[in-house]
Amino acid sequence: MDRSNQPSPYKDKAFKRSAWLFLFLICLLGVLVMVSLASGYLALTPADIWRTVTGEGTAAHELLLYQFRLPRIVLAVLVGTGMATAGAIFQGVTQNGLADPGIIGIHSGSGFFAVLYLYLLTLNQDQPPVWVNTGLPFAAFIGGISAAVLIYVLAWKEGVTPIRLVLVGIGVNAGFSAALLLVQLRMSESDFNRALIWLSGSIWNASWAAVLRLLPWILIFIPSALYKARVLSVMQLGEEMAVGLGTAIEKERIKLLTIGVALSAASVSAAGGIAFVGLIAPHLARRLVGGKFQRLIPVCAVIGAILIVLSDTLARTILAPTEIPVGLIVSVIGAPYFIYLLITIKE
Amino acid sequence: MKKIVLGTLSLTLLLAACGNNEEDTELDPADGTVEDEDAEEVQESEGPRILTDGLGNEVEIPEDPEAVLASYLEDYLTALDITPVAQWSINDGEGVQTYLQDDLADVQTIPYDLPYESVMSVEPDLILIRDQIEQDMVDQYNLIAPTYVLNASPTSWRETMSEIGRVLDREDEAASVIETYDARAEETASLVQETAQGESAAAIWMIDTSLFVVHPERSSGSVLYGDAGFEIPEVVDQLSDDADWAAVSLEELADMDVDHLFLISDGDSELMEDRLWQNIPAVENDNVYTFDSQSAWLYYGPIANEQVLDHIDSSLQQ
Amino acid sequence: MEQIRKDQLTKKDTQKRLMKRLSAPHPAALILILSIGALILIMTASISIGVSDIGWRDILESFTAFDSSSTSHVIIRDLRIPRILAAALVGAFLAVSGVIMQALTLNPLASPSIMGVTSGSAFMIAVAFAFHPQSSYWQLILWSFAGAGLGTGMVFLIGSFSKRGLTPVKLALAGAAVSALLQSLSTIIAIHFNVARDISFWFAGGVAGVRMESVRLIGILAFAGLIVAFALSRSLTIMGLGEEMAKGLGIRIGWIKFISVLVVLILTGAAVSIAGTVGFIGLVIPHIAKKVMGMNYRWVIPGSAVFGAGLLVLADMAARTINPPYETPVGALTALIGVPFFLFLARKEGRG
Repeated sequence: MDRSNQPSPYKDKAFKRSAWLFLFLICLLGVLVMVSLASGYLALTPADIWRTVTGEGTAAHELLLYQFRLPRIVLAVLVGTGMATAGAIFQGVTQNGLADPGIIGIHSGSGFFAVLYLYLLTLNQDQPPVWVNTGLPFAAFIGGISAAVLIYVLAWKEGVTPIRLVLVGIGVNAGFSAALLLVQLRMSESDFNRALIWLSGSIWNASWAAVLRLLPWILIFIPSALYKARVLSVMQLGEEMAVGLGTAIEKERIKLLTIGVALSAASVSAAGGIAFVGLIAPHLARRLVGGKFQRLIPVCAVIGAILIVLSDTLARTILAPTEIPVGLIVSVIGAPYFIYLLITIKE
Repeated sequence: MKKIVLGTLSLTLLLAACGNNEEDTELDPADGTVEDEDAEEVQESEGPRILTDGLGNEVEIPEDPEAVLASYLEDYLTALDITPVAQWSINDGEGVQTYLQDDLADVQTIPYDLPYESVMSVEPDLILIRDQIEQDMVDQYNLIAPTYVLNASPTSWRETMSEIGRVLDREDEAASVIETYDARAEETASLVQETAQGESAAAIWMIDTSLFVVHPERSSGSVLYGDAGFEIPEVVDQLSDDADWAAVSLEELADMDVDHLFLISDGDSELMEDRLWQNIPAVENDNVYTFDSQSAWLYYGPIANEQVLDHIDSSLQQ
Repeated sequence: MEQIRKDQLTKKDTQKRLMKRLSAPHPAALILILSIGALILIMTASISIGVSDIGWRDILESFTAFDSSSTSHVIIRDLRIPRILAAALVGAFLAVSGVIMQALTLNPLASPSIMGVTSGSAFMIAVAFAFHPQSSYWQLILWSFAGAGLGTGMVFLIGSFSKRGLTPVKLALAGAAVSALLQSLSTIIAIHFNVARDISFWFAGGVAGVRMESVRLIGILAFAGLIVAFALSRSLTIMGLGEEMAKGLGIRIGWIKFISVLVVLILTGAAVSIAGTVGFIGLVIPHIAKKVMGMNYRWVIPGSAVFGAGLLVLADMAARTINPPYETPVGALTALIGVPFFLFLARKEGRG
């Protein structure tokens, strides 16, 4: 049925290449993680790290490395993976190279619901309940789904064209942002500032607890995305072709979008709205390994992780000791890339 | 293909496993406290003091903590003759609580948002937190030192003072700080009775052309109305929301009919040339008293409040 | 020689004939006069609404028998009137900027906020706040102009590098990207220099606390800008029929474009410097004006100015009354009106 499943010498070669590339990227990520571990407000030499890793370091170094720097980096990796994969899915489903969950309003939908959730929970009581943080990804997920449904419904006019979807997404994004602003201005100054920093994308107060909250989402939905990668590849052949190959297009689209929203919403709830990762990572991945999603998604996920780890390292070193929300750094890197794509893309 | 899937999976699992391991061995604060308990039982007969903090956590307070980190609570610590290990600051240490610098001049600064690594670097042995923060963050701070989040509302300095006294085992000193303050406040109250009975006042913070008015029960507002006994203008009551300082328009200020204006401002603003400004009774009667934004008016605590009382006295005696 | 002159003559003739054909029937003039009347009515009503309600008599007296010791008179003269005039001017500026941008780019989604021009202004204002906190109002306007130029420049540059120019979709996307970039930079500055709250109000937009001096300053600019815009109207109308045709009819396209961009910069820069980034007026109003006034920009431009003024005065009135005594950011309100409209356009536009 699906020709891409038949072995061919060409394919084997391509696979080998992707596998090597994947390994290389993992190594690159590893190096970056090392650099990131070593950089921060407190000085830590490579020798210190080595001693700590081998179990001969001081207690302070152990604390610093394992409890403060490592969870932050792991969170960065997970968030990058989630957002990049979500981006690949959105781009695949909409067949639009410019569809980024941050640009088309999925993030601001998630962010709006998350902030609303926090605001309502703290409205009538001084202290939020214990489960407040566990509930956050779910609130974000509901927000993301609402945004996605809204975009889909509004863009529906005897079918959904990719372009209309993105345009409507921009509008929905603006709408949620305005609503968010209204909620934010009702908050007290300290909550306001916290919301601002959180929404700009920040992982500075990462902990293992935060990692554990995000992990299940990533562990469930990344494999699902990989499982559905074939469908995504088929979709790229065009609707008629895909239907001809026996893909129930609308149904699959909805499944895929749910996976994408879940990944992006969980990431947003952990790190705030970081735009452009979901845009850049799939593009770079496509350049490197081509458009087959079975190969593209893993590579894309690693690139996403690299991107966030790199940005986070920059975020805490450029203006140290001031920490810049990592999302802002990603935007400053990502927006020009987006513009570059815009200039070169063929419609 | 499968290899790649497995690769990603095993990577994530590896990382997760890392996380779990760490948590088992180090994250759990209980482990740390158990050790400490053992240690203290050897030295002390009295046993460790365990208090329940504002988040409902049981916090073990170390005996005679030497390095207390209490960001934005330095006023209270100073009142108890305790020098904090680091002091609150903004803008990379450029902005500090200037009114306390007689006592805190030699204390190093720490960013207001208390980044973990900065906290680690000052090596505290007790951390007091003023605002209700997320449990996650408290868990992380707990890895550095026992962390106690105050029960007292940060907007009530008396509660805060007593609680800090309780936590640091200086309850009597804290009570006497409050008593001394109340006695001092009596003097100002009687001065207001004499010179400005039944007259209203407001503290206005002016930043360029933006105006903010103090909440009647918070910061210097509690001193102005609660201790010194000025009348609260109607508009101030309406505006008081959740903020210590609420934004107020010139129009509302003009509507306030306030007799005494305590203006917190660094230099003149074009607002003051405005006809509306000129029409405010306090301005017409020359009852505007200006203090700079580094003065105690914007802060909380017995020392800040006493300085505010001094300012009120000297203003009325002009 | 003769031939050329004849050619030009006929070109002028054709232009005139064309304009006649496009000239809106008489209703346009009538509608304009009626809407100016309505605008004045709205503005007057707006004077009486606010924290302290002020009666009609007071309003009348504050003009006829001004008493500087009466608080309500001073409030009317020094606070309400400047504020309402500012709202009207800003609304008119943004609407006219939008009309010109849409006419220039032949793009129904072109408008100051969508193209990132307002973000550019706000960015430079953030820079000014951080590095020159003592900037006078004059200097702030200059910063704002520079910023508008920056935003526009970036979008135009993107357009000129794009192979087939900026389609409506690309334009909206480019604007979103430019805005994202500039807002990120602004926020970094805001966080580092601890001026976050000041700047976020610039992004929310609002005309509270506008001073009469600024209104006067802006008023002069407005007058100049609107007159130039009006003078451009004929060329813009003809360019609306396609560049080839306009070229054929002797319109100096490059020149007209240059002047138009300059007008857009001045109008948008002035608007942002006084009210922050108030979104969507420049998108919504031109479409309404074109629907009502026809295709002739001689009527569309003044129509947009009046409608835009009316919309922002109304929005500002709502901002004051929704949640007294607090001000709701007017930018959020215009977005609530503008977003559905944008979505409507997007549905129409995204056909291809």
